[in-house]
Amino acid sequence: MSIAVVLLALAVGCYAVAVLEGWAVHGRLSLTRPATSALALMGREQILPRTPDRLFFESGPVLLLIAGLLSVAVIPLAPGLIITDLAIGALFLNAALAYVLVALIMAGWGPNGAYGMIGGWRFLGQFVAYAMLIVMPITAVAMRAESLSTTQIVLSQAALWNVVYQPIGFVLFVIAAMGVAWLPPIDLPTGGGDLAGGVEAEYTGARLAVLRLARLVIIVALASATVTFYLGGWLGPWLPGWAWTALKTLAVAAGMLALGPRLPRLREAKYLAVSWKLGITLALANIFLVGVIALVVPI
Amino acid sequence: MSLATAFFLAFFGIAAIWFGVVVFRTHSMVRSAIALLFSQTAIGAMFLVMQAEFLGVLQIMMMATEMSVMAIFMVMFMMDPGGMGKMDMTHQKRLSLWAGGIGLVAALVVIWTAGWQGPVPEVPGADEQARLLGRELLGRSMFIFESAALMILTAMVAATMVAISPQEEDIQ
Repeated sequence: MSIAVVLLALAVGCYAVAVLEGWAVHGRLSLTRPATSALALMGREQILPRTPDRLFFESGPVLLLIAGLLSVAVIPLAPGLIITDLAIGALFLNAALAYVLVALIMAGWGPNGAYGMIGGWRFLGQFVAYAMLIVMPITAVAMRAESLSTTQIVLSQAALWNVVYQPIGFVLFVIAAMGVAWLPPIDLPTGGGDLAGGVEAEYTGARLAVLRLARLVIIVALASATVTFYLGGWLGPWLPGWAWTALKTLAVAAGMLALGPRLPRLREAKYLAVSWKLGITLALANIFLVGVIALVVPI
Repeated sequence: MSLATAFFLAFFGIAAIWFGVVVFRTHSMVRSAIALLFSQTAIGAMFLVMQAEFLGVLQIMMMATEMSVMAIFMVMFMMDPGGMGKMDMTHQKRLSLWAGGIGLVAALVVIWTAGWQGPVPEVPGADEQARLLGRELLGRSMFIFESAALMILTAMVAATMVAISPQEEDIQ
């Protein structure tokens, strides 16, 4: 039962994020654009590039979708409304998101095209930059909750949300999350106007639809992970829990999408340098500060 | 051990071996690396079947990143990374055969002579496992793990240095 509810919520969330992304990119709000685009993609001719690595070409987008769905499995919408409440949920989320990298490398390598391949390997460079900044802020969150269970992490924020308790971790996590979902300005693997679509360059028709759907799932997963780890999950007055989760998730996704078009694209070397020299230092400082606060002040 | 546990353990074990065979059957370096990744993922799934949640998920997570990094190193340094030139990249076959054979015999000897204590009757919960692992990693095993990490880092830097051809300014 809760699996069906979560999947339905995910579908609605994906559609809402697609509408928001259309608004951010085209500057015009259209409620029907995602539906018409999807229909158009399904109807289009599916071109197979010459001498592809067929196995990778076909399985890349599907693996991306599976990675996104698995990462959603440990996000609680409300108390009890979660696909699987693992004791190590926060680690499981990381493990699922690691396969975004594998899927993009496969999708980039598969079509035997230069743009796709460069896009796929660029994402590896991007991954090396953001990987530590996903894991280390979650470490600090788990330290406060004294658990890796996502439900416990939400409950630990009853008195004070983590966004106030560990603001450095929040900022680092959001930037890293934008890297995972390759949202602009960190959209190196697709790089519109630079790589002619990158990983998406050789995909057409239904395969491209799967690739884009998978990315929407990943954006929703990361926005809801941000809500779970930093914005108190389902906690909030007046409204029921699931409504709070949905509202906060959409707000975070809208924030991420609205930020992108206003900033210049980051070069991978620059992103790496900033992430490692500044980001990891701050993440370590965050872990230390949270440790001290957790020991001294009981909130 | 229930029938379902035995079935899934065997399934993922065979999957791990099969993907291990694929590593050597393919000519493509990237396919080879990804096959090795899925072989290791299957081992992670075996951990999950044996209710070692933390270890299983950790294995599945770490291998994704490690094998991807290995794939790009292979693409950078091998002459035929896509395997489309049908280039034979094997060498020292006799030595490899002997090394593999001796390794197999050594592994079998260890498996058959070690005093296994039989299945554990009660598996601690996932929470408890994570706690016990944390105590182990930050206690008795800390020195071993930290020194291993340093050695791997040194080996990575050294291997890259050896593999890069000397640049013009280095020769002058």
